[in-house]
Amino acid sequence: MFALSIWVLRGIIAVILISLVASTAGTFTVFKGATFFVSGIAHAVLAGAAFGIFITLYFFPFPEFLMTIFFAIFFALAIGYATHRSENVDVSVGIMFAFSMSLAVLFLAMIKEYASVAWGLIIGDLLLLSQEDVLWMSIAVLLILLLFLIFRRKMLFSIFDPEGAEAMGVNPYLYETLLYLLVGIGVVVIMKGVGAILVYALLIIPAAAGKRLSKGVLATGLFALLFSLLSGFGGIALSVLSGITPSALAGLIATFIYFLSYLKRGTVKVP
Amino acid sequence: MIEVRNLTVKYDGHVALENLTFSLEHPSFLVILGPNGAGKTTLLKTFLGLIPYEGEIRIFGKEPREVRNLLGYMPQRDRINRSVPLRVKDVVMMPLLVTIGLKKEVVKRAREALRGVGMEKYWNADFRSLSGGQQQRVFLARTLARNPKAILLDEPFSATDVATKMAVIKILHRLKRERTIILVTHDVNPLVECTDKVLLLNRKMIGFGRLIDVITEENMERLYGTRVPIIRRENVCYTVGGDIHVRP
Repeated sequence: MFALSIWVLRGIIAVILISLVASTAGTFTVFKGATFFVSGIAHAVLAGAAFGIFITLYFFPFPEFLMTIFFAIFFALAIGYATHRSENVDVSVGIMFAFSMSLAVLFLAMIKEYASVAWGLIIGDLLLLSQEDVLWMSIAVLLILLLFLIFRRKMLFSIFDPEGAEAMGVNPYLYETLLYLLVGIGVVVIMKGVGAILVYALLIIPAAAGKRLSKGVLATGLFALLFSLLSGFGGIALSVLSGITPSALAGLIATFIYFLSYLKRGTVKVP
Repeated sequence: MIEVRNLTVKYDGHVALENLTFSLEHPSFLVILGPNGAGKTTLLKTFLGLIPYEGEIRIFGKEPREVRNLLGYMPQRDRINRSVPLRVKDVVMMPLLVTIGLKKEVVKRAREALRGVGMEKYWNADFRSLSGGQQQRVFLARTLARNPKAILLDEPFSATDVATKMAVIKILHRLKRERTIILVTHDVNPLVECTDKVLLLNRKMIGFGRLIDVITEENMERLYGTRVPIIRRENVCYTVGGDIHVRP
């Protein structure tokens, strides 16, 4: 019973951490309209995990989580740079998506029987997090929140009106890249809990639903926090009762909430 | 006072502006006319110190980068990400929050600027729910909230109805008493009463001076590559048929 409690407790902490990322970096990613970026980074994280295991197996012990952070940062910077050059975030993400997935397949082939560890990141599990996982997640989320609080106004200005921001001396490219960095680190955090496939469910869907219901940035963030918490806690509760993996259940709840947001009358139609 | 001497701007390997020379007194109202790709926005951005240039620019006696805080810039509305859920107050205060932070003074200046464009009652409204014309007025308020000495407006009348256009022009007419206004447009006709100088631009300077002197059929043909009839009456002239701006 105690063993179950500690796993559930870690899962609850992870949901709170994930929700904080969803309400900050996730919300701004939805504003930016760069949600495809999340999938791109998720694949880079998979490559990072495989590479981390490869280094540990053949050279020296290296924390897998740290390697995934490095990969997420590298690919976030690469996508930011490519977007700045080509001015099309979809093309930039698409190219990096293919590159990171190719690397992932390559590294997975090299680590053979240990590949299942990296593949675990595809599905993830909120109830299988170790003490070390939660510690790394907490550090990463603290970093995200700190940077977000300091630079949120300049990031928002850059997202809303890049030309106006530039005219004021705010470099939109710099703050767009910073947002990508925060999201990249955020994806690593969330993937630990819900996996690559469902990272979208807790990072993007709560913010997208929140945006439909609110008239302001703060309200969108608070809605995203609420919906993400509901999805995560709901997923854990149903998982404990049913034995089904919590990430899938959390994803279903998040999607359900999004569809419910359509029921609200007078949601703003965006041109 | 804005002085431009032998200004050339090279952008992505091609010449966007070539050898421009003109000067503008303060306060005054300058309209920049020209076809698509003529370098009108490039010129505004050069004034803002965002684009490297050859030649000389002096704005109030200084280099563009040194006077950024004296300039207010209103970009084209279609370059704005209008999916972001912002209240009108958030939009107006945004540049002030970045430079000054959240202080009482910022709120006061934003309210005054909104009042100046007749939009104060929309303080808490969802910016996305406003009409195109109302959004333009909010952007004008945002520009004015910084209390700039010169205002640079990039096609403020695109996709706006006549009522909005006239309302904005009325505000600009009032502002020109104490501020320099530089406005990029495709249709000078509604601005004939407040315009002091016109710059005809198609990478090179086709003409610069008083509207009555510069808007000639010869200059307009050089500018647009086609004949544009002009109606003249006493000291006013109008182009017949506007230049319809189609963004590629």
